[in-house]
Amino acid sequence: MREVPLLGPYQQDDLLAWGQGVSRTAAQFLSNVYSLADRLPDRPTVLNLAASRYEFLVGFAAAMIRRQVTLLPHSRVPHVLREMVRDYPDSYVYTDHETPSGMSELVPVLSRQSSASECCPPDIPVIPLDQVVAIAFTSGTTGKPVPNRKTWAALISVAQATGARLGIKDREQITVVATVPHQHMFGLEASVMLPIVHGLAMHEGRPLFPADVASVLMEVPGRWLLVTTPIHLRACVAEGVSVPKRGLILSATAPLALEVARRAEQQFQSEVREIFGFAEAGSVAERRTVAGDWWRPLDGVRVEQEGTACVVRASYLPVPVSVPDRLSVSPNGEFIVHGRKADEVHVAGYRVSLGELNSKLLQVEGVQDGVFVMPDEQSGLVTRLMAFVVAPGKRSEEILRALRAHIDPAFLPRPLVCVPKLPRNETGKLPRETIEEMVRWWREEKGRE
Amino acid sequence: MEQTGFSAMERDLAELIVKTLKLKIDPASIEPQAPLFGEGLGLDSIDALELSLAISQRYGYQLKSSDPDIKTIFSSLRALAHAVETHRTK
Repeated sequence: MREVPLLGPYQQDDLLAWGQGVSRTAAQFLSNVYSLADRLPDRPTVLNLAASRYEFLVGFAAAMIRRQVTLLPHSRVPHVLREMVRDYPDSYVYTDHETPSGMSELVPVLSRQSSASECCPPDIPVIPLDQVVAIAFTSGTTGKPVPNRKTWAALISVAQATGARLGIKDREQITVVATVPHQHMFGLEASVMLPIVHGLAMHEGRPLFPADVASVLMEVPGRWLLVTTPIHLRACVAEGVSVPKRGLILSATAPLALEVARRAEQQFQSEVREIFGFAEAGSVAERRTVAGDWWRPLDGVRVEQEGTACVVRASYLPVPVSVPDRLSVSPNGEFIVHGRKADEVHVAGYRVSLGELNSKLLQVEGVQDGVFVMPDEQSGLVTRLMAFVVAPGKRSEEILRALRAHIDPAFLPRPLVCVPKLPRNETGKLPRETIEEMVRWWREEKGRE
Repeated sequence: MEQTGFSAMERDLAELIVKTLKLKIDPASIEPQAPLFGEGLGLDSIDALELSLAISQRYGYQLKSSDPDIKTIFSSLRALAHAVETHRTK
């Protein structure tokens, strides 16, 4: 099987990471990776929770050299992390900050020690293309996370195709800045793999507020590439952030509104490109939002209609992967996205099954019936879920407190409305129209308050 | 309904938090010294972003997390109120 080097076309002294006034060269990185790889426990899987993008990459690379697989959980809630190490008891945790409580009792926890002197430039390690290097988890309908295995070939191919599509040249003076976590599939592909495959620099942090994003983009060496989401972009547009230095914006995780794209292009004086993808396939297609609705598949990727569903094919995908959204595909392979399939919703870049949330809700003590609802209209930066719950004698605060331990904050219902009963039909179902009626009823009630 | 232990700014911010984040809790039930993120109210980073926009609109203070004390700003309602009081421009 072919092998591909861990790092793209860097010279030893090229900048690889930058943050908080510290620059790290490609040579320093390799020396950090080798010294960590020597210290790693002999375990097949690692939960890499590092908050710094650089520390994450060092841990990820060292694990690859040791033929270990990095687990990418679909949520950072302590309960989910603990469940993950119970499912993978031979794991260890690698981190650069405090570990969630209850983890160190289950598995070894380790951090990188800053290695003092590096001598001669080490060789760049090579990784077999068929090596499984990561497992990205998605939330399953039954409540059990579903594993999606990622080979080195898949990560390398997507990074190459994305860079080619964005017109990025090898060793270009670009620093990749990201507001998304590197443990997220899009974050891993665009903020970690894209720079190392093309010999670019990465910013170590994760600016959150619009003012942070603006100042980081101005500070970083060279041009910038901002890897972000519609939520962060909307916030930047709402705050009127302007960046008088050209770069490129890459957004994913949810469709971007045309108006936000238009204003972001003006305020940042830069193009806004979007990626369509999902955990099972990785990045699939790209478009410039202001140029139209059609998505162009990345080179080497084909999207095809198969009956009522659509599938993605690529040389690095062992089997065709079915697309979780409804699409229309044109004869030339470009496509339009119509929206999600029935049971699945997206909140703040994460996909979740309403069925899973409902089953968690029904496990809360005192809850007799309940349903999560995704309202149609949007207010604020992100549309939050609502829930209607039947729990006599319980207050919504109590139910929320119980839910918090089991579901990601992104999916907590805003609001959770207590009702005497749910208008289920004779088959026990809650048709979409009934649910919409309940949302309208609640809004009117609220209006009267 | 005068709550002992709440400053005027804390009360205003508690209302802003509940309204902006659609929390459906009584603003007076937010403990002034309890953490807003993580355990406390269980808010996430999108809430932080949403809240920062509301604070910027109302008080003309743009939050930054590269401020060395961002953890202090968001550690509690009291700390947030103090930061807004100090930096507000309107």
